[in-house]
Amino acid sequence: MNTPQIVEAVLFASDAPLTPDEIARADERLDEDQVEEALQMLKAEYDDTQRAFHLTEIAEGYQILTRPEFAPYLERFDNVPRPNRLSGPSLETLAIIAYRQPIGRIEIEYIRGVNSSGVIRTLQDRSLIDIVGRGEGLGRPLLYGTTQRFQEHFGFASLDDLPRPDELPIILKDRMPLEEGEGNQEKEEIPEMPDPGDNLEEKQPDNSVDESAQDVVL
Amino acid sequence: MDLRFAEGAIVRDDFFLVEIERFQGPLDLLLHLIRTQDIDVFDIPVARITDQFLKAIEGLDAEDLDSAGEFLETAATLIRIKAQMLLPREGDDEDEDPRAELVRRLLEYEQIREISQRMRTSEADRARRFSKGFIPARPKLLHQEMPLETTWADVFTAALGVEMPIPRQGLHRVTTRTISMHEKVALILDRLQDQSGIEFSRLLKGFGDTMHGVMTFLAGLELTRRRVLFLRQSQPFSELWLYRREEDKDEVSADLEVVEVDS
Repeated sequence: MNTPQIVEAVLFASDAPLTPDEIARADERLDEDQVEEALQMLKAEYDDTQRAFHLTEIAEGYQILTRPEFAPYLERFDNVPRPNRLSGPSLETLAIIAYRQPIGRIEIEYIRGVNSSGVIRTLQDRSLIDIVGRGEGLGRPLLYGTTQRFQEHFGFASLDDLPRPDELPIILKDRMPLEEGEGNQEKEEIPEMPDPGDNLEEKQPDNSVDESAQDVVL
Repeated sequence: MDLRFAEGAIVRDDFFLVEIERFQGPLDLLLHLIRTQDIDVFDIPVARITDQFLKAIEGLDAEDLDSAGEFLETAATLIRIKAQMLLPREGDDEDEDPRAELVRRLLEYEQIREISQRMRTSEADRARRFSKGFIPARPKLLHQEMPLETTWADVFTAALGVEMPIPRQGLHRVTTRTISMHEKVALILDRLQDQSGIEFSRLLKGFGDTMHGVMTFLAGLELTRRRVLFLRQSQPFSELWLYRREEDKDEVSADLEVVEVDS
């Protein structure tokens, strides 16, 4: 048995993405580099021989998935597990969490402008997000981040697969994506924005709530 | 709270009719107002937008305090900004633009919405790729393909065997059991002394009452539960056979004591 075969057997038997590190556990003589090499071979082989499936990089691992063009055939079977589509509010909230993680509920609600506790709970129940820590400040708020399940759901190989803000028509001054976002550091300029001032970034999210509350003197 | 505090302040030709329920929140509504009127987001005519916003939330269900509150909060922010715009600004104009934070929030929200749309596409793409882990259901046999296990002769015989119940008359009397299960346990064990199995019907010979049948059956079940016997029946409604379990013979007498206590 050669390495690609062993790797193939492990991938075939798995219904979730596996990392090279995990696959290497199949045999003491295997190391990550060998697995990686075998993965590339398998990938090329599946593509060359036009298999109905391919080796997909997903959620920081590898998984054998059918090619999208076969979906119509598979969808004819009632018991094909069909992933649920997320609701609009769920997607919106997930997008915020994905770009700003770790982030607390208050900040999410400030960005969305609406109460989000229900949505957050649903996302948590579906294992798309998880509590990743506690923030500073009053009550040490829970901070949320996305999970591996999140990447699986959207078919992202890693968080780098998220749409990059600089590809979007609306460009917003820094703040996203947070965290070790290499290469993303060039500050995007907001055209002709009357400089909102850098201090805006530090503004406590709930400030405006209080301010506006005071000002409803009509 | 009365949402109509701004009544009369507005209604203009360029007013857009909006259904509040369509919007996910106040920012969504604000963006809609701005984008559908081709307003430069960096130079929002606050007075006009505020009026439109207030008009739009007039129809809000004030009962739903949560979402009404969110719209009201933004309305308040708009009004505050509107007021601040009227005041002469001191010092550096640019730093003081009261709209800055709102604009930043709107753009941020719009970007999030754009990202959500792209994520929706990714989600759909992913849903078209399948992993292992499902088995297509086997086609079910159609009814007419099932072999019929009963012949008309069987049905006829069965029909002849049916005894019409005698209609009960008068009162139903509740009595205590006149036949003890212990009696029947003893009977079964006695009959199985010199043979390994016996038909249920033979155990009933000589006893007329249905109650004897019931108690014998219960005794049989009880002894089976105690692993003294095992019951066999070759097919539904055929003769029931009671067999002795050889290996448990020693425990029979001990178990019997318990049966006595029970009954």
